[in-house]
Amino acid sequence: MTEPILCVRDLCVDYATPNGLSRAVKNVTFDISAGEVLGLAGESGSGKSTVAFAIARLHRPPAFITGGSITLAGTDVLALKDRDLRAWRWRDLSVVLQSAMNALNPVLRVSAQFADMFKAHGIRDKADIRARTGELLQMVGIKADRMDDYPHQFSGGMRQRIVIAMALALRPKLVVMDEPTTALDVVVQRELLEEVAALRHKLGFAVLFITHDLALMSQFCDRVGVMLRGQLIELSTPTAMISGPQQDYTRRLWASIPPLHPKPGETLVRMKETPQ
Amino acid sequence: MNGLPELGTRPVLEARGLSMHFGSFCALDSADFCLYAGRALALVGESGSGKSTCAKLLTHVLSASAGHIFHAGRDVTKLMGRKAVLDYRAAVQMVFQDPFAALNPAHTVDHHLTRPLALHRPDLSAAQRRDAVADLLRAVDLDPAITRHKYPHEMSGGQRQRVNLARALAVNPSVVIADEPTSMLDVSIRLSVLDTFRDLKRERGIAMLYITHDIATARYVAEETAVIFRGRIVERGPTAQVIDNPRHPYTRLLLAAVPEVGSPFGAGNSLASLAAQVRESCEAPGTLREVTPGHWVRFAA
Repeated sequence: MTEPILCVRDLCVDYATPNGLSRAVKNVTFDISAGEVLGLAGESGSGKSTVAFAIARLHRPPAFITGGSITLAGTDVLALKDRDLRAWRWRDLSVVLQSAMNALNPVLRVSAQFADMFKAHGIRDKADIRARTGELLQMVGIKADRMDDYPHQFSGGMRQRIVIAMALALRPKLVVMDEPTTALDVVVQRELLEEVAALRHKLGFAVLFITHDLALMSQFCDRVGVMLRGQLIELSTPTAMISGPQQDYTRRLWASIPPLHPKPGETLVRMKETPQ
Repeated sequence: MNGLPELGTRPVLEARGLSMHFGSFCALDSADFCLYAGRALALVGESGSGKSTCAKLLTHVLSASAGHIFHAGRDVTKLMGRKAVLDYRAAVQMVFQDPFAALNPAHTVDHHLTRPLALHRPDLSAAQRRDAVADLLRAVDLDPAITRHKYPHEMSGGQRQRVNLARALAVNPSVVIADEPTSMLDVSIRLSVLDTFRDLKRERGIAMLYITHDIATARYVAEETAVIFRGRIVERGPTAQVIDNPRHPYTRLLLAAVPEVGSPFGAGNSLASLAAQVRESCEAPGTLREVTPGHWVRFAA
């Protein structure tokens, strides 16, 4: 096992509500090794996205980190000041969100949005920026000569690729992906994640992958964690978790996935939604 | 599976040669299909394949460029006059993908269900309407006492989608078109929501069109499945046949892309090159041929 690149210890996140504090993340502890893909699964409201946002320091009031520590490659993430945080994001850690295709500015050409990002991190040479942008787009399977197109000229899957290319531009150590393919259809989802899997072998970045789709997670991740009501209740390799889930909840979560070819007599679990 | 409603001699809704062109772009090319009472047809395909265009044509949001739509034996391709349009739309109801956007955040569940009742069934008294709302909520497995006075933000996505289904049922439709009704819900609760759709369509004899990009869920709702690719139906037949014995390369690709427990990426099962091949090979229009009774596949020549 290589050295952990990310250490999350006893992380607690609270939301301020009219009825006092509500704890969304309860003493969550895990590590991610360099180059590892770790998945966090759970239902809506389980706290998985709150963990991802806290690690990227993207949480906003009424969410507050009320305990624990986050260390990425030796940096105390929770101690970063605003200015350092701006430099740190994208250089050490980048984020791809579910509706990331909507994160692109619709009135700016794709090349201008790459340029913005490079300039914010001190890379100003125009020719260099265009060359790098072209390379990044090619890396995710988009022709370099399309860099001067606008976002609406690309399909949803291609826009998501552009966002991933941008997230990898400064060679971050960790990429946080929060439901990156939920808005895409299955074939595009599969192509995109296969590409991310190949790129991480090539570039060596680690991934924190958030999803509600356990089947998908078991295909893509080295280790998977299951969250329930703010707690990380189980963490192991997909193989171990499929063959012997430690928690009843985990077992039911696996059994609720509609299989393509149900075996005769197989019982599928109908999960009840967590009341809000 | 027993207990299936008999295939009536006459479909409730039929599309014949239904086509839609936007300028030179053909979004739907000569689609033929039938919806029968108490049964569902799953229309499966990727983004941009023409699934939602199909829904918009059937609900008269768009007018077809060519082809015909028949409802209860009558040609409803062109509807004349406001009353004809309103009557048709009462009979053909929709449930949309986004359960958050489809409900008005400023109104309670009670309001969402009372309004269609007041508009379409003016004969009901206020007390009867209250009972009808309670019946509708129970039908979609929600507790009227708890749910009735809730606002959309007080409910989960699945509960909201159940309210949307109840709203569609309020006007006693003969056809329900469900456009990706569970794609925005957690995987873990999709089955229980789909169970409700399946049970209600059987109990109430509703003809259902279930539009989805997730072919894995088709089996749990729909007796028949049609796979659509770039505006053309490429395979159509009994759902179990299409999933267990797919004949068209695009159907096989769709099935291969479904996330499957215990089959990690990179174990010689890369889909990217296969996907490119399939997309190229499906350029020619070809023709639909019946390979086994009821199972149709599009062949290149």
